[in-house]
Amino acid sequence: MRHVNVALLCLLFAVQVHAQSGLVQDPNAQIWLTKMAQAKQQLNYKVTFVMSRPGADPQPYLWRHAITEDGIEMEQLDQLNGPGKEVIRIGNTVSYFDSHRPPYSLQSSHISGPLPSILLTDPLSLMPAYEFVVVGKSRISGRVAQQIRMVSKDKTRFGYNLWLDQNIGLPLKISVVDLNGQKMEQIQVTELEVTPSPDPYFANYVVSATMPDVVQFAPQPKEKQNWKLDFVPIGMEQVKHSVRLLQNNGGKLEYMMLSDGLVDISVYLQRANGQVAESDIVARIGSDIYYSRTQGNVLVTVIGKIPANTANAIATSISAVQ
Amino acid sequence: MTPKHENLSAFVDGEGQDENFVKTLVNDAELSARWHRYHIIRQSLRKEMPEQADFDISGSVMAALQSEPAILAPKRTWKDLPVISNVIPLVRSSGQLAIAASVAVAVIFGFQQVNNQPETQIFNPAPASFTGIQGGLSPVSLEQTRVMPNVSVEEQQRRFNMLMNDHMNQVMLKNTLSSTPEKAAVESSAQERQPDVSQERENLPE
Repeated sequence: MRHVNVALLCLLFAVQVHAQSGLVQDPNAQIWLTKMAQAKQQLNYKVTFVMSRPGADPQPYLWRHAITEDGIEMEQLDQLNGPGKEVIRIGNTVSYFDSHRPPYSLQSSHISGPLPSILLTDPLSLMPAYEFVVVGKSRISGRVAQQIRMVSKDKTRFGYNLWLDQNIGLPLKISVVDLNGQKMEQIQVTELEVTPSPDPYFANYVVSATMPDVVQFAPQPKEKQNWKLDFVPIGMEQVKHSVRLLQNNGGKLEYMMLSDGLVDISVYLQRANGQVAESDIVARIGSDIYYSRTQGNVLVTVIGKIPANTANAIATSISAVQ
Repeated sequence: MTPKHENLSAFVDGEGQDENFVKTLVNDAELSARWHRYHIIRQSLRKEMPEQADFDISGSVMAALQSEPAILAPKRTWKDLPVISNVIPLVRSSGQLAIAASVAVAVIFGFQQVNNQPETQIFNPAPASFTGIQGGLSPVSLEQTRVMPNVSVEEQQRRFNMLMNDHMNQVMLKNTLSSTPEKAAVESSAQERQPDVSQERENLPE
C-alpha cells in the first residue's frame, strides 16, 4: 500500500503543478481515476454485472481478471444469457468465442465489448476531451461508492457517470447519459470479489487451452483522401481512412473514423448518383445514431454513439481536399 | 441408450465428465456428430437458435423426398400432367413426412423471426426518452425545394445493415495493436478477412 500512497502523492503534486497552467481539472478525480485504472489492471477479481441498453433485454455478464506469477494479465468476459459468447484475453491477445461463427483472435490490449475499456484502463488519456468531476459518495451494490461525472468539454458526446468502490477502486456502476441527463446505457455490478490469488478458472482452463490463431492483416497501400471533415469534436482525431469499391453500382465508398479513444464515429462518403438510397435518415439503434444525408452531391452517413446534433455537424462539415 | 450416450447427454447438460470421456468424444466421429446434434436440439428447445443456422433443414427434407423413387416412378408416365401427377402421390405418400418437415421448418423460421426482431425494429421510433429530432425516424432537412428521390425501402435497409455491420467491425478492429493513424489503411481494408459471417459481406469487394 505504501508505494501506492507515494504514487498518489506524486500524482497530486503533478496535478497541482499542472493546475497552474490552467489545463487541469479536479485533482481528486484524477486520483480516483488512477486508483481505478490500477485496480482494474493489477488485482485478481471476479465481477458479475448487468448491462442495460435501450430497446434490448438487460444482459448479465461475468467478468474475471487475473495476474499470473509472470505478471501477465488474463481477462475473461462471458455473456451469461443465451447460447454463450466468451472473450478471453491473455496479455495482448484477445480471443473471441461466439456460438455462430468460428472463433478467432485479435492482437489487442483490451477486449472490445460492453465495458468502456479505455475509460477503465487509461482514463487520463481522455482528459483532453472530457471534464471529470468528483460528485460525492453513495451506496451501490451494498458498498460505499465514490461518484465521478464525466462530461464532454464541447457537449458533443454523451456523458458518463462512474461509481467506484471506495476501498478497492473498481467500478460498481457505470451509466451513459445524454446531454439532458437522461440515462441511456447502464452497467450495474451485482457482485464483486477481489481475491489474493487468480480464480482457478484461469489455471484450469485458460492456460492449457489452445487459442484460435491471431488474424493477421496484410499491409495495404494508403489511399488518397478525397474529403476531409472541417468539424471534429474536441479531443477527437481521425484514426482511420480507407477507400473501397462497391460491387453493385461500382461507386466508391470512402471511410473515415473519428475517435477520442472512447467514442468511435464512422463517416461513410459515397457519390450520390441516383442509384443508391439517398433519402435522409436519422435513426437511433440502442445508443448508436445512424445519420444519413445528401450533402451536395455526396451521400454522407455518420454512425456512432453521439447526439444527433453532433452527427449533423460532422456530416455538414465535409469539404473536398484540394 | 448406451452408457456412452448417457454420459454424452450429461456432458451436454453441463455435468462434468473425466478427461478420458472428452478424449473419446473428440476421437469418436459418431459421438462427435451426436454431440453436435444434441446442441442443436437444445438450442432450438431453448429458443436460442442463431440468426443464421449453419445447417439446412430444407435441404435434408428435399433429399428425403427425392429418395422415394418407388412411389414416384410408376406415376411418371409421359401422358400425365407433370404437376398434378407428381403432387398427388407425393402428398399422399409422404404426407406425414412433409407435414413434419414443414412444421420443423416453420418452427425454425419462427425462432429466427423472434431472433431477428431487434433488427426489424430499427426503423421504429426510438424509446420515448428521446425527445425532438432524436425521437426516431424523421427527415433531417425541412427544405421544401429539395427533390426527395424515390428510394426503395429494401435498398435503404440493405445499405443501413451494411454500414451498421461495417461500423461494428471497424470499432472492433480499431483496438488491434497496429492501429495507429499512420497504419489506418491497413486495418480498415483488412477487415474483410475477419471471419465474420454477416449477410452483407457479399456487398463489399473482396
